Amino acid sequence: MSGLALALPFSFDEPRWLWLAALVPVLALASWRSLAGLDPVRRVLALALRGMVVLLLAACLARVQSVRRSDDLTVMFLLDRSYSVHETEQQQEDYLRGVCEQVPPQDRVGVIDFARHAHLQQLPMRGGYFLPPGRLPQMPGTDRTDLAAALRLAMAMFPHDTAKRVVLLSDGNANLGDALSEARRAQADGIPIDVMPLWYRRGNEVYFERMIAPTYAEEGEMVPVRMVIHTGKPVSGSLTVYQNGQPLPLPPEQTHVTLSAGSNTFYVRAPVTSTGAQRFEAGFRPDDDNADTVPFNNSGSAFTFVAGPSRVLLVSQDPPMDAPLVEALQRERVSVELQSVDKLEDFDLLRLADYASVILANVAAASFTDQQMKDMASYVRDLGGGLIMLGGEEGFGAGGWISTPVEEVMPVSFEIKHKRVIPRGALVLIMHSCEVPRGNFWGKEMAKKSVDTISSQDYLGVVAYSYSPGGVSWEVPLDLCTNKVAVKSKIDRMQIGDMPDFDTAMRLGLQALTTGRGRDAAQKHMIIISDGDPSPPSPRLITEFKDAKVTVSTIGIGWGAHVMTVPLSNIATQTGGKFYAPRSPRELPQIFVKESKVVRRPLIVDEPFTPRLHHVNSELLAGIDAGETLPPLGGMVLTSPKENPNVQIPMLRATDDGNDPVLAHWQCELGKTVAFTSGRWLKWGAPWVEWPKFSKLWAQIVRWTLRQDVPANFDTFTRLEGNRVRVVVDALDKDADYLNFLQFGRSTVVGPDNTRIPIEFHQTGPGHYEAQFEADRPGQYLAALDVHDAHGKSLGTIRTGLSVPFSPEYRDLQTNEALLRQLAQVTGGRWLAGVPAQDDVFSHDLPPTEAKRPVWDWVLAWLLLPLFLLDVAVRRLASWLAWSIAVELVLLVVLLFGVGMAYGPWYEKVGALVVAELAGWAIRFRYVPGVVEFLTHSVVVLAHAGERSAASLQRLKTKRQRVREGLEAKDEVAGRGPATAEPEARDPALARRRFDVGDAGARQAAEDLHEALGGARTAGDWQEKRRAPAPADKGEGAGDEDVTSRLLRAKRRARRDMDDRKDE
Amino acid sequence: MVVGNPARAQRRHWTVRTALAAWVAIIGLCAGCESESTSPAGVVGVFGGVGLGPGDFSYPRAIAAEPGGCVFVVDKAGRVQRFNPEGQYETGWRMPLIESGKPIGLTVHPDGRIFIADTHYSRVMVYDRDGNLLTSFGKPGIGDGEFQLPTDVAVDAEGFLYVSEYYGNDRITKWSPDLQFVGAFGTEPVDGVPLRRPAAVVVDREQTLWVADACNHRLVHFTRDGEVLGRFGGFGSEPGRMRYPYGLCLTPRDELLVSEYEGNRLQWFSRDGRSLRVWGKPGRAPGELNAPWSVCCGANGRVYVLDSLNSRVQIFKP
Repeated sequence: MSGLALALPFSFDEPRWLWLAALVPVLALASWRSLAGLDPVRRVLALALRGMVVLLLAACLARVQSVRRSDDLTVMFLLDRSYSVHETEQQQEDYLRGVCEQVPPQDRVGVIDFARHAHLQQLPMRGGYFLPPGRLPQMPGTDRTDLAAALRLAMAMFPHDTAKRVVLLSDGNANLGDALSEARRAQADGIPIDVMPLWYRRGNEVYFERMIAPTYAEEGEMVPVRMVIHTGKPVSGSLTVYQNGQPLPLPPEQTHVTLSAGSNTFYVRAPVTSTGAQRFEAGFRPDDDNADTVPFNNSGSAFTFVAGPSRVLLVSQDPPMDAPLVEALQRERVSVELQSVDKLEDFDLLRLADYASVILANVAAASFTDQQMKDMASYVRDLGGGLIMLGGEEGFGAGGWISTPVEEVMPVSFEIKHKRVIPRGALVLIMHSCEVPRGNFWGKEMAKKSVDTISSQDYLGVVAYSYSPGGVSWEVPLDLCTNKVAVKSKIDRMQIGDMPDFDTAMRLGLQALTTGRGRDAAQKHMIIISDGDPSPPSPRLITEFKDAKVTVSTIGIGWGAHVMTVPLSNIATQTGGKFYAPRSPRELPQIFVKESKVVRRPLIVDEPFTPRLHHVNSELLAGIDAGETLPPLGGMVLTSPKENPNVQIPMLRATDDGNDPVLAHWQCELGKTVAFTSGRWLKWGAPWVEWPKFSKLWAQIVRWTLRQDVPANFDTFTRLEGNRVRVVVDALDKDADYLNFLQFGRSTVVGPDNTRIPIEFHQTGPGHYEAQFEADRPGQYLAALDVHDAHGKSLGTIRTGLSVPFSPEYRDLQTNEALLRQLAQVTGGRWLAGVPAQDDVFSHDLPPTEAKRPVWDWVLAWLLLPLFLLDVAVRRLASWLAWSIAVELVLLVVLLFGVGMAYGPWYEKVGALVVAELAGWAIRFRYVPGVVEFLTHSVVVLAHAGERSAASLQRLKTKRQRVREGLEAKDEVAGRGPATAEPEARDPALARRRFDVGDAGARQAAEDLHEALGGARTAGDWQEKRRAPAPADKGEGAGDEDVTSRLLRAKRRARRDMDDRKDE
Repeated sequence: MVVGNPARAQRRHWTVRTALAAWVAIIGLCAGCESESTSPAGVVGVFGGVGLGPGDFSYPRAIAAEPGGCVFVVDKAGRVQRFNPEGQYETGWRMPLIESGKPIGLTVHPDGRIFIADTHYSRVMVYDRDGNLLTSFGKPGIGDGEFQLPTDVAVDAEGFLYVSEYYGNDRITKWSPDLQFVGAFGTEPVDGVPLRRPAAVVVDREQTLWVADACNHRLVHFTRDGEVLGRFGGFGSEPGRMRYPYGLCLTPRDELLVSEYEGNRLQWFSRDGRSLRVWGKPGRAPGELNAPWSVCCGANGRVYVLDSLNSRVQIFKP
């Protein structure tokens, strides 16, 4: 049975419904009698069709599937292109080409290369490997090996209807993902992994195993820093240690060292003279460069948090302007460090972690990189730091902070969301196709960035050269930028054309800004993004721009070297804009923040007002009476409070068309932030500086934001183990008893690229808690752990972290044969020799595959229903010709649309027609003599109908007379009298006889009628002739003519009887 | 078996037969129509397609034909490809530098050399038909022997070369057959308007130099010494007007054939400026154009139009 099942080209998903097939014989028996009225051929046909309908119905209910069995094979080659095997690329490609020379024609080859990520280089295709030699694209992220991702991708790429095999070319040093788990999945799917090992062994290699410094230290302490350096062979070299970027003075015996084979440990003690994070970095340089192979693994790093009083960093655009605030805070014994934004160095997350709070005093967003803004947001959210932003020309929305990560953590939105009349800005972007690689991509990115940074109350439009319908047109019509997502989506879909000249585009933009939608804007600005090769604008147009006070800034995309700078620069300088020639795409965000700032000047309110107290219960207003009048302020930046119940607005500016926040604060996850929308103390806030409560208020505000560190009796320890970092916390109370059942709420590690890695602590011993996370990128990992006791009371925040100096990829010194063998064994794969001629990777030793596809819907639509129609037709259509046409039509429809020949080439359509016609004519030819006769008969009848009609009528009359006479003669012979009619009529036997003229009389009458019709025979005659008349039939009925004659005679007799009765 | 009234059966059969015949006729007609695929508007061939493989294009911008019929195309990937007259790929090569930008002009010299206006490197590169670099001339600048953005090269009967360029220095420079700078002209206004982006140049049989003044949407003609002879055209879509004429070539009848970059069509002009014929409309189907940068006339009366944004070449016989 199983053998039969294997041979069948179909199978059933729910075979229990097949019992319905047993109904076929029952149905045949039941139908045999009901179809007795049909001729035998039709009867058999009808039964056969009905039986097939039932069988197909059973098949549909059993969910019939088509089964395609295939011996074809697909081999996916996985090429390891990580750093550890970067020297074997040629070897791998040669091997691939070598084995693909033997690929059987029906087998398919797919290629995936992998390092940190897996990339599909060739879809499974017949014919071998198609990439030209040396054309594998450059592999990004070679610092990691994710073998699991490559296996996953390979399994996803296999076609379902072939046997599958993976050929892995790798050193087996996987440092991301779990390759063995994927191998087990492959084994479950019947996919063997053949392994071609890439052998190497690095003898001459020196690398930093680890660098360890204590997590915490006290100011003035000597911090022990331990370094473990591994080498394959004895080697001498110089060791340099840096503390906070400065070389640590070490004795000569520690600066020039000799390493013995294996691990070597060195200690140095570093003095700690300041609080905050202390960074330690070390590097080893061998005397002989040949003694080391990989240069990336010769350094280590670590850091230590040095406890001390909480410090506050005040970043200022204009330090003299903010000096009154610094002095006020210092008067209140707040440790504050004033730093000009121009001199800000190493402003990263670790540096921020030094401070308990940071104040941004009227600083523009363009002063910071995207990364630094993300760091500030992480500093608040994840490390619990405080952030205060003060207003001014460069603060909040006016300073380009709209849609930045910093805005997300502030208590106010930098957009003006409520309806009110404020002067608007209008920005038109002109985008031209750039010649440099990815020029258009960066153009679009910049346009999207400007959409982000512009206010939703401003106008924005994008002009580009479009190919459809052709010419300069508005890709985004100038309008309020309320739906930024839609606008960015439009920009993404733009096809930026090659603009012949700037003139047309600039004129279109100018018209919209002066007479169109942007005519009421207070600030009108245009930005041209181009490589500068369209024809420059005419001098007359430039004059029009100057007259309309529309400024134009130009950005030359070409990364400095490939831009037609002079004309672009001329456009900018002549119209009062700026010309930018960024050297790399990294400079673009800052440019756009600066540029879109031009249209946001209306956000500044440069008029005096007196702030009003609002949420008087706020902790920030302690010491200020509810009815107290605050000193006036000279100006502010407009913002909107965030719709969050945690946001408190202790001070606001009341106007006729709404209130504007002056002081707002909230807690954002672990940290706290404050927005003070005024500032500029010497200009706007002079009365505040004179106010006696100025110092106290600001000290309260700053102290409220400070991060709270935990008591010193919590000890933390971090350790890198492979890819994973283990974090251990030992907690003791003030009596040195273990603290159990602590809760670590919202514990998040911030990775090098600001990724937030959630970690979960488990208590593994008395007062001992552990957590783990994966560190897959080199860099700093910082965490602030929010600790609560068993009753939910906050105990403060623990800071900890770890430095991952380099990827484990650079530590691999030899092939990981164990893992490779395990992969092959788990999946039943083979260990390949690496010789293309010997490694038969295309051997067909795998079981054939079955591809099943449900076809019940097709069977229902194109077999069951047509057969049902034919079943009805065979019973209802009396004419074989009609039935043959029905068969023909049904067959044609099924072939054309069910089989799909209508969608094929012309000969398939003709083929379908021919098949249908053949079937139709096969049925018709079986009855062709009858059809021919019928046609002939019809033609003859039609041809002679006129001339025969008169003669026929006459003959009919004559015959009628003769028949009447004959009948009367018979009656007389029988001796029947009219008087006996009544009793005979009551006797049924006698009555039947009265209607019966006997066989001879009937035949005579029929022949008479035949003669009267002119000799032509009716169809009934043909039937009569073909069928040999059975003796039994003779008496009962000899055709329609007999019956007619009898009826006529009976009628006459009945009439005579009636006449006789009347006479009586 | 025929049952029932014979006359009625007769009528039924005639109806069935007529319907059958009509049905067969309709199917036949449909099949016939499909197999009879005549190309619209005289297009006899299309080659290319988006891609980076041999015979593919990535936004091609210049085309020129050899007297023998082979066609050269340069695209925005910086590749020069040679095709036979039927559009079969023969060979190809890459421009040496493409970081700054790619060529937009290509001319076949009567002696078989290929002159490529390497626009963004402000020079003209000279190759043989197999892609071997023979020489180059020009350097960045606005002085004698210098180019800003060269767009095209034309050759007169005596072998003098005329190079058009734009970008603040819109002019024509004349070079001797041995590639020495001879002079420059075209900077003076023509009818009050200076040249703006001369995109293509060609010299006719009577040694008149024709310039496609693209951003002024007109054709300007000069003597070989730079004396203005006249101009015609203007912005518009009606016959006789143009929308960014980027491509220009001479037909065998010495008519001027212009490809309009924004107009998405070809237009034939007599030498006295009469519009003779217009061909093409915007679209993607054969006979339709999308930003045609260039056009050239090949052997056997074939016209090759560079359908740039569709990344293909359409061959047609006008």
